[in-house]
Parts: sequence; C-alpha cells; structure tokens
Amino acid sequence: MHEHPLDLIAAFADGSLSDEAEARALIETCQECRAEYLAQTEVIAWLAAAPAVEMTDLEKASLHRDLWTELRNEPARRSATPWWQRLSYVAAGLFVTIGLVGVLNSGVLGGGAESAATTTAAAQGFDEAPAEEVPFFAEGSDGGESAPEMTTDTTAAATATTAAGAGEDSLTLPFAELADEARARQNDRVVAESTDADFEECLTRVGLDDHVVVDEIDFEQTYLLVMRKDPEAERVVTFVVLPACEVVYVG
Amino acid sequence: MTVPGNEAELLTRVVSGDREAFDAVMRNHQDRVFSVCLRILGDREKALDATQDTFLTVFRKAGQFQGRSAVGTWIYRITVNTCYDQLRRAQRRPSESLPDHLDPSDPAAEEAMESAALRPEIEVALAQLPGDFRNAVVLSDLEGMSLPEVAEILGVPIGTVKSRVFRGRRLLAKHLGNQIDQ
Repeated sequence: MHEHPLDLIAAFADGSLSDEAEARALIETCQECRAEYLAQTEVIAWLAAAPAVEMTDLEKASLHRDLWTELRNEPARRSATPWWQRLSYVAAGLFVTIGLVGVLNSGVLGGGAESAATTTAAAQGFDEAPAEEVPFFAEGSDGGESAPEMTTDTTAAATATTAAGAGEDSLTLPFAELADEARARQNDRVVAESTDADFEECLTRVGLDDHVVVDEIDFEQTYLLVMRKDPEAERVVTFVVLPACEVVYVG
Repeated sequence: MTVPGNEAELLTRVVSGDREAFDAVMRNHQDRVFSVCLRILGDREKALDATQDTFLTVFRKAGQFQGRSAVGTWIYRITVNTCYDQLRRAQRRPSESLPDHLDPSDPAAEEAMESAALRPEIEVALAQLPGDFRNAVVLSDLEGMSLPEVAEILGVPIGTVKSRVFRGRRLLAKHLGNQIDQ
C-alpha cells in the first residue's frame, strides 16, 4: 500500500479528515484499504479504552519529598539563572577587568601593556609561571583598585570599560567575542568542581593560588576574576572562578 | 483547570525560588507526566524515577522557558526527553536495570497499576514499537494530545507525527495479529 492511502485512511479512522469522500470511496472499492481502516479503528478503540494512569497518594508524597530533598542539596540559587546569562555576566566583568588591566599597564606601570586582544589569544604556559610575578597586581588587588561597579546591563558595562581605557586597542574587542570565548573555554577548561569549596580553596586545588585576584564581582552570584602576568610572554592570563569551584581558563 | 498565562507566571515565580509556585506546577502536571512516563517506559518504578527527573529539570530550567509554547507542552517535551535518556542509559547498561518491584508499603500502587493497565497484549505490542512510533502513539492516542501539540513536544513536523502515529498503529495492529498487507 502506498503512503498516501495510509495517511488518508488513518486520518479517516481517527476522524481528523475534513473531507471524507475520497477515503470512503477507497474503503468501499479497495479491500486492502478497508483492512487498513479496520485495523486503525480497532487500535484507536483499544488505546482510547485504556484507563487513566495516576500516582497513588503515597507515591505523590514520596515524589514531593524526594524532589525537595534533592533540590535542597543543590547550591543555593544555582538554578535561578540560565548558564548563558551567568556567562554573559562573567564576560561583562571580564571586559571591565581587562580594561582595568589596560589602565594599570599603561598608566600605573608606565606603558608596555599587552593588549586584551593578545590576552584573549594567550593559551599556553600559565602553569609554569613563577610566583614572583604575583606582586605585579598585588597593589591593585589589595589597595582597592577594583573594577568599576558592575550592573547586569552589559551594554553599560562595555561602555564604562571603553571610557576607562580610551585609546587602547585592548578595549575595543566586541563584547560578543568575549562571551563566545568564555563559553567555548568553559567546555574544556573547567578544572575543578566542588559544591562547598570557597574561592581560595578552589584556587589552591587547581594550582592557581599564586595568581592574583583582580576583583570579586557580585552580580546575581559571585564570580572571582583571577589574572596574572606571564613573565615569559609578557601577557596576562585570566581565569574566572564560578560558584561551586568551577575554574574556567578564559585566555 | 489551568490557564496557560497563569502557568507562565507560576514558572516565573519558580525561577525566583517560590516553592508554592513549583508545587502548583507539579500538581497541575504530575499525573500526566507520570502517565506518559509509564506508557513509554512500561514500568511503574522507572516511571516514578523519570517523573522525579522531569520535575527536577523543570525546576532547574524554569528560567529558560521563553513562552513560545504552553507550559504543559514544554514540560511534556522534557518528559519525553527524560524517558529517552532513561531508555538510552538502560540500553548502555542492561545489567543495571531498575528495580521492578512496587513499594511494599503502598498496596494502593499495585491496585492502581492493575486498574490502569493496558490489555497485556497491547502493552506487549506497544513495547515492541520503535521508540519514535511508540512516543507518538502514546502522546496522541493514549494521552489524547492534538497532533500539533505532539509535534511541538517531539520537536518534529506535524507530517512526521502523523506518519509515526499511523505507522505505529499499523504495527500495533500487526503485532496484535491483524496482518495488513504491506
């Protein structure tokens, strides 16, 4: 039997045809079509006669109890914000921080800064970087040189960053590129995971404790931006520490 | 009766951690979610597990609901995907089949299972259908959903749903002894 008659006859059997004339004619003249029609109607009747399925009261109570037990054991509010939105916050924070580093490198340290474009392209060698480089950013971190206060408005964040580092090529990277970068990196650079570790413990666990915390930014959740300057390549490497100790190498 | 607009509002409250709102969403859909799981998986314990997994996903992803479909359609799509995942896991690890027993402290479950059971031969025939056909038949003919709704839940065109339902019924009839010439 061809598919067209099956569609036609099956639709006739379940009553979904608006014009039944052709199907009726087929059933009257074609034995094969009539057999198909009878089979379809019989199965529809069998399935329609199936009683409704419900959980018992005890099963419902267990479901609710188990579900809330499971949800209570999850990190607080972790599910409240979609991952892409969380990453966009991270990218916004990163963008501002890169701007801050640009300012630090060009202003505070008298030039010689690597551009953020170089920064995001850097992908090698951060593990071997010696701890002596830590003081490079120590003043900025401990002395209150924090990034501008962030809002969840990423456009505003990008604008603020551009203003902070006027004239620097490093500050003109499109925001979407940074977000894509962070997103792509997250897939293969999550190097530690724990539900109850604090940021410091996370950094120690993954060997990043000699890196300098540039800023801690709290949007809907807290993110730690960790950066260091690689003495060999004269570049900054950046990590983002997410809640639950997910450490992401950004660039 | 649940009004779709109110349901979307409930989900918004779920995103902000409103437990009562989530309980309300569950009350509205738990029986049908369980029914779909039971018809697809064919086992009460597995269906209960899949129901729990479904609502965990609903809670976790409530913020991703964009209102392009009814909340129910979105939830049943998660339901079907959860069942797919469970079937895939079972295929990968056939030796780790889930317990096939009922809670001994819940005699009502056995009674419910018996009263809701399909005729055994239909249940066997349904279990023998290819997964795509079975899901389409379960949602359409057992759960009484419209073809457009089934198409949205399964993420396929309506024509594909029709084809799966019609062919699924044909296979069911064939399994049940009504031979149809191909």
